[in-house]
Amino acid sequence: MADPIIRLVNLHKSFGSLVVLDGVSFDIPTGETTAIIGPSGTGKSVLIKHIVGLLEPDEGQVWVGDVDMATANEKRKYEVRRRFGMLFQDGALFDSMTAGENVAFPLRYHTKLNEKQRREKAEEMMELVELPGVYDRPTSALSGGQRKRVGLARAIVLEPEIILFDEPNSGLDPLTSDTIDELIGKMKRQLGITFIVITHDIVSCVNIADHIVMLNGGKLIEHSPTQSFIRSENPFVRSFLRRNVDLDALKPL
Amino acid sequence: MRMFVTIGQFALFCVAVTRATLTHRPPVAASLQAAYEIGIRSLPILVIISTFVGTNLALQGYNAFKPLGGQSLVGMFVALAGVREMAPIMVAAMVAAKAGTEMASQIAVMRIQEQIDALEVMAVNPYWYLVTPRFAGILLVLPALTIISVFTLLLSSYSVSVFQLGLNGDEFLSHIQQTMSMMDFVFTSVKSIAFGAIICMVSCFYGFYSSPGATGVGAATNASVVVSAVLCSSLNYVLSELLYG
Repeated sequence: MADPIIRLVNLHKSFGSLVVLDGVSFDIPTGETTAIIGPSGTGKSVLIKHIVGLLEPDEGQVWVGDVDMATANEKRKYEVRRRFGMLFQDGALFDSMTAGENVAFPLRYHTKLNEKQRREKAEEMMELVELPGVYDRPTSALSGGQRKRVGLARAIVLEPEIILFDEPNSGLDPLTSDTIDELIGKMKRQLGITFIVITHDIVSCVNIADHIVMLNGGKLIEHSPTQSFIRSENPFVRSFLRRNVDLDALKPL
Repeated sequence: MRMFVTIGQFALFCVAVTRATLTHRPPVAASLQAAYEIGIRSLPILVIISTFVGTNLALQGYNAFKPLGGQSLVGMFVALAGVREMAPIMVAAMVAAKAGTEMASQIAVMRIQEQIDALEVMAVNPYWYLVTPRFAGILLVLPALTIISVFTLLLSSYSVSVFQLGLNGDEFLSHIQQTMSMMDFVFTSVKSIAFGAIICMVSCFYGFYSSPGATGVGAATNASVVVSAVLCSSLNYVLSELLYG
């Protein structure tokens, strides 16, 4: 396993009496894809929000490089966030802008490119996610799959070191879902960066991930390379896999 | 208890907005855009309501003073009640109902759809991006709207007094001149700037802390207008006491 780019150490988080993360610790290796899976409501999205510093843990550390996001001040957090791109569950696109303006948005604030250059760069990213020619289309006119791709293009436009995907396949039909997986695989090969994918789609996990982390009830159940995960003897993992897929059919892309 | 938590959250929100505003470059274009949108969208309704508030003030003043033989004092009544008190609070109420609710609902939807989280992850300060331009915009435009309201109100009350009630126009204007000074316009602007700050901060605050779902957006919008109206009305009394007392 490569050196970790992110280290989660004994992470605890509760909302009132609801314990969401209960002593979670694991490393995310540089340049590889780590999938975080588990049933709904098990703390996956909360975990990812800790990684980018949108939530602070009750206890524990979230190391991104040499910065602990749990204790870093706002200025430092913003500096660290420049290393991230993130695809949100529903895209989180700004309705007041066109698809292309959404993609170009981070360039406005973090580069010295002029408007023409920003547009060129955004169009280049939109081609990379196989969505050419929709720069001027309003976001309301995009399908679910197109919204994800625009969100993906926006996530990669600043060429981040780490990209987070929050349920990239949710709400998509199987074909579009496969296309998104292929896009992630293609970017993994082309960009060579660290991917963290949250999903409860085990097929997608096996397609794209090098490592799989499984959470349940806020606890880490399993953390292993994808092929070992599929063969895991952990009863909860077996049960989760059996409920979701034909195990014999699981093969990485 | 819940009220104290909300007050604490609001104080922290104000600190975050102030810090973001002071540590980033001023969003000039976005502020002018916000001022234009708040001003243009509120202007038609503002002119209509100011017109009819002016007509009614003239009628009520006339009816109140006539039994005492003082109907010529309508101009003074309009200047005192309309210009000093009614215009600033009326403009604030309309802007809270129109622009304030729009701010609260827009930001609440952005919160629910994770657009505010997206801003944070893209290392764009959401307080600076969403609140600062609206704050600057409303402070720019509210005094102007209030002055427009004052003149509309005076014109309509003059028209009713002179053309409907048969009062002497010169006498009406002379009473207004004797009652008002340039300081009234300054004080009215001071009030409207204070109201603008309240409306913007309260509306954006409720948007930022909206609960999920359509109910959450509705509650945030409703709370923004109710709290803005209550705070502006009570502050209006305090300011009147300080400025005119």
